[in-house]
Amino acid sequence: MATLIPSIACLGVIGRNNNPLHIQIFPSYDPSTNTYVAARTSLQFHLLLSSTLDVFDLRARRNAAAGVGLSGDFGLLHAVDDRLAAYGFETNTGTKFVAVVDMRGRRVDGRGGGGGAGGHGGGGQQGGLTQGGAAAAASSVGLREGEMKVVFKAMQTAYIKLLQNPFFDPDEHSPLSGTGGKKITSKKFAEDMRRIGENWRPGVTAL
Amino acid sequence: MSSASKASRLGEEIWKTRIEKVNAELVVLTYGTIVAQICKDFENDYAEVNKQLDRMGYNIGLRLIEDYLAKSNTMRRCSNFRETAEMIAKVGFKIFLNVTPTITNWTGDNKQFSLVFDENPLADFVELPDDGRAQDQLWFSNILCGVLRGALEMVQMQVETHFISDVLRGHDTTEMRVTLVRYIDDELPPEDD
Repeated sequence: MATLIPSIACLGVIGRNNNPLHIQIFPSYDPSTNTYVAARTSLQFHLLLSSTLDVFDLRARRNAAAGVGLSGDFGLLHAVDDRLAAYGFETNTGTKFVAVVDMRGRRVDGRGGGGGAGGHGGGGQQGGLTQGGAAAAASSVGLREGEMKVVFKAMQTAYIKLLQNPFFDPDEHSPLSGTGGKKITSKKFAEDMRRIGENWRPGVTAL
Repeated sequence: MSSASKASRLGEEIWKTRIEKVNAELVVLTYGTIVAQICKDFENDYAEVNKQLDRMGYNIGLRLIEDYLAKSNTMRRCSNFRETAEMIAKVGFKIFLNVTPTITNWTGDNKQFSLVFDENPLADFVELPDDGRAQDQLWFSNILCGVLRGALEMVQMQVETHFISDVLRGHDTTEMRVTLVRYIDDELPPEDD
């Protein structure tokens, strides 16, 4: 039997000026057609990412007021519906990483060792339930705290690698004037994002 | 093959004992910035950029050879060009960049060889500009060609050096071709007519 586990539906990198730097959408499993299709249109994902900006702003202000630091993992920003949820991370330079997770985005087949070790790890803790039940339970309670850390760590590493490229001009992408900025065109960076989005699943410890 | 293993032992030993180390990222970022700036200054005329890098390298080579000779404690000339190649790859590159390119593709007359770089510290993180020309025209690490040319000229060898492939351009390897043009004899300075 098959069970559905969370997967990444969209990764967004947002610049200091709240300008989109890179957005990549990953198809989710669609049970009605048994294929992988994007859970939302590109425009809807753009809007979703835009809507997280206010949450970033709010949290940053609250964090500053509470004196607990300026940056880092912002955790769950926004639970869109029972499937999609947006998680966020902001660096000290104001670059924001957003990962939109589809709680039932990937299909894992069968029992035992067949694929999706992470998914089985999650199911194993709730031994009494069937696997489908375990997945449903997981989707209703969301992800465990810190589950997205590895994603943001990997995204930050990729971003640092991008910045080390001498032909990449950060000023072009987040000008100090405070408005606008070009998107990232690096193939390596896009490839890194693709790898992160496709390989992440709950319980993964390295990407 | 004893000269080859001797050279690599020598390189290893000098690297361990007599070389001051600097942060690799400092070097990589500095060199990368220089190349990017030259590209800007010459408005992405990559042929000209290659030439400038080669010239900078040449000037470095002229000086670096002295340091190389002192550190490697070399007292005599290489007996042939093959030995020169060994020393370049296993001592020269080892002590200044901590890499050991592979020597290969000798021509029959022993005057031409290739240095194949498994890793190139100068090019870490680099991704060539996506303007459709850089991939075909820019040799990012061209400074190394100049360094070799300059250094060998100071020890009476005129060589011609150029890259023929680079992983940055999507090739499988990074390969530099070195050709011995001639041994420079101690010539009299040209007379004034």
